[in-house]
Amino acid sequence: MTSTGPLNEDDRYRTSTQYRLWSFTPQSLHTFRTTTNQLAAERVREAVRRAREARSADDASGTDSRSASAVPEGEVDCLTVEEELKLIAFYCRQTLQLGDHLKVPTEVKATAIQYIKRFYITNSVMTYYPPDILKTALFFATKTENHYFRLTKFAEAMSKTKPEDILASEFLLTQGLRFTFDVRHPFRALEGAVMEMNAMASGEIDGPALKGMGRKVMMAHGKAREYLKTSALLTDVYFHYTPSQIMIASLMIADRELIQLYISTKIPSDHPSSPDLQAKILETLEQCAEMLKTVEPSADPAPAEKKEISALGKKLKKCRNPDMIDLVGLQRAKREGEEGLDEKVVKKRKLEREQSAKEGEDLFGPSLKK
Amino acid sequence: MAYSPLVVPGSADKSAATTKSKLSNTVVSSNAPTPEAGQSSNGAGNDLAEQMNEDEKQKYIKGKKLGEGTYANVYLGHLRDSPSTLVAIKKIKVQKEYTEGMAPDAIRELKHLQELSHPNIISLLSVFSSKDQNLNLVLEFLPLGDLEMLIKDVDGVRYGAADIKAWMGMLTRAIWFCHENFVLHRDIKPNNLLIAADGEVKLADFGLARSFSDPYRVMTSNVITRWYRPPELLFGAKHYSGAVDIWSVGLVFAELVIRTPYMAGDTEVHQVNLICQAIGTPNEDNWPGVSKLPEYTVPEPPNPIRGRDHYLGTFGTAGPEGVDLLMKTLILDPRKRITAREMLEHKWWSSDPKPTRKEELPKKSGGEAKLGEDLKRRPGILDDERSARVARKLDFGGMK
Ligand SMILES: Nc1ncnc2c1ncn2[C@@H]1O[C@H](COP(=O)(O)OP(=O)(O)OP(=O)(O)O)[C@@H](O)[C@H]1O
Repeated sequence: MTSTGPLNEDDRYRTSTQYRLWSFTPQSLHTFRTTTNQLAAERVREAVRRAREARSADDASGTDSRSASAVPEGEVDCLTVEEELKLIAFYCRQTLQLGDHLKVPTEVKATAIQYIKRFYITNSVMTYYPPDILKTALFFATKTENHYFRLTKFAEAMSKTKPEDILASEFLLTQGLRFTFDVRHPFRALEGAVMEMNAMASGEIDGPALKGMGRKVMMAHGKAREYLKTSALLTDVYFHYTPSQIMIASLMIADRELIQLYISTKIPSDHPSSPDLQAKILETLEQCAEMLKTVEPSADPAPAEKKEISALGKKLKKCRNPDMIDLVGLQRAKREGEEGLDEKVVKKRKLEREQSAKEGEDLFGPSLKK
Repeated sequence: MAYSPLVVPGSADKSAATTKSKLSNTVVSSNAPTPEAGQSSNGAGNDLAEQMNEDEKQKYIKGKKLGEGTYANVYLGHLRDSPSTLVAIKKIKVQKEYTEGMAPDAIRELKHLQELSHPNIISLLSVFSSKDQNLNLVLEFLPLGDLEMLIKDVDGVRYGAADIKAWMGMLTRAIWFCHENFVLHRDIKPNNLLIAADGEVKLADFGLARSFSDPYRVMTSNVITRWYRPPELLFGAKHYSGAVDIWSVGLVFAELVIRTPYMAGDTEVHQVNLICQAIGTPNEDNWPGVSKLPEYTVPEPPNPIRGRDHYLGTFGTAGPEGVDLLMKTLILDPRKRITAREMLEHKWWSSDPKPTRKEELPKKSGGEAKLGEDLKRRPGILDDERSARVARKLDFGGMK
């Protein structure tokens, strides 16, 4: 169907937004994340300072000081970039579980996770709380991947979640995604390559190097699929490699010998630069495979890792931007314009927000209804 | 390696980033977080994403309303820095009845237009939100109306086989490109084919489009405006392919020739009847499996498949090659229907007459169109009988 082989990246990929807007060198990605983190930290400190001022003003006048209850004492200890990344990775795993719970197809989960990862390049977890964003991302992915899920049903499947909670950050999410919704996954490319290798193994098409290797192909397929469904989503490979590269790298982890033979069938050996070309391709794939291997598909996070995440969750609670806790309220205000509302309503909503802010502090986010 | 032209903040080379991307907000992102964004006094106010959005919005000035569709209003606009650079700003309406967040048509249109870049597909230049969180799509401005206007204006616009070939060529390339990129348009009809100042036809309105990468996924059959809807969808097929668009393309072709919708059914049942009359009755012989489709019902008695002579009689002005191509787009069985790629390889394109150059194509009357030129053109393809038929159908155009 496609005119170019899997090693020869389709020119068309280069016109995709995934390539144009969402591919980075490791350095540039790091720079973006650092800037986002620093900016968010500044804003947290600033917001906390303002909240404290307001509180002391309230104290002085003897009025109700509940509004500042979420503001911690002492110097705010903000998350570092690395800490943010660990939390994001944790919440991406949660998204996978939530997706399993809701029985959505792999594409929906995979797209949702890329939305989360893209969103947090220009937004910090200190500003936008991941347990909120992940629900929205998963719901939005059901829409963009044509797997419609009724919002009320979706919300019901999670504890402590109302439809408006999910919609509150939808616009924010789409803005963070810069209104690009198409995500290119490596799944289909894998099926294509496996089909081709099978045809070579059975002698149906030319590819003597693979003759009789049907069983190996089958084993490699299964293992590669596991990597694509987990490691590829949870690492940064989508930001640095094309879907075909990711696909081949996952096969390489599964069965290096088989894939090297397969690659050799793709590069004519009489080509003068063949050895060079092959070495270059292998080097890229090797790097991609290394990145994939940093997250093993099956392994649950080790106890030490869980402990670390739990500590980071506590740290996050203390450095969340107090102005950005009530997304539902913020969203409503933005839609209506706060001016038009009478004072009673404003007060009532403020109370509601404080309430939800307290409840919303559960690190493990949307616990699943069994 | 898949490194994109995104520029690292600090080492910004703006021009490189702009030329590589049709999305102008790439430039904004490459500038990365601006310090001002962080110093916003109100925490709920301008964060980075909002700052980027504001910058984008500031680039355009919205002018008068150009038209209204079901899910959007369209305004004329221009670049703030360059008032002569016109754009169309499509502002998505807030749908009160739809309570599930961003509406599916807006999502589909954005998702697909962001990815497709082709001379015969309308370009999306930018996206921003206005303060009430309404989505605004900045599109290239296409001032010369649409194909429906040309088809309907029988007295004001005359055109011939060479012009039809040029328009059909542009439409076919557009749909070929969609299908190459695994996108189904699912709403091809003359009023979704807009015309640029230089005469180029551009496929617009991707509000019903979707990807079709996975052949096993169920899709809704309730797409495509009835008159252009293929029999498999009328019979409720849930698995379908690019062939659905090809049928619509065929009907646009037919309509360009006879200057009236070829099969204008009032209901779905009526539409099926018209297809059975005009093309032939679908059955297990000409379309194996058709009787298993969920809503398969055809009127009695069945009609045989119309032969070449019938088409030559009705569409003869398109020439024998043109008629051959038309017949292949209107094959009942979607598996046998011609594909977009095969259409492009058809011999009609290279047979006489050559397609008209886009700059010389007839334009809608009034405004830019020069009457004198129209009069000098060779006579159009209408005869009295056909214009009478058009006259009766004239007010059908406004159908939604
Ligand atoms: N890029 C454009 N340049 C100039 N005018 C445009 C452009 N896009 C749309 N218009 C005008 O705005 C009108 C509304 O367009 P829109 O695409 O929203 O709806 P429609 O296609 O007319 O109807 P529907 O929403 O039912 O498909 C069009 O009829 C056309 O006159």
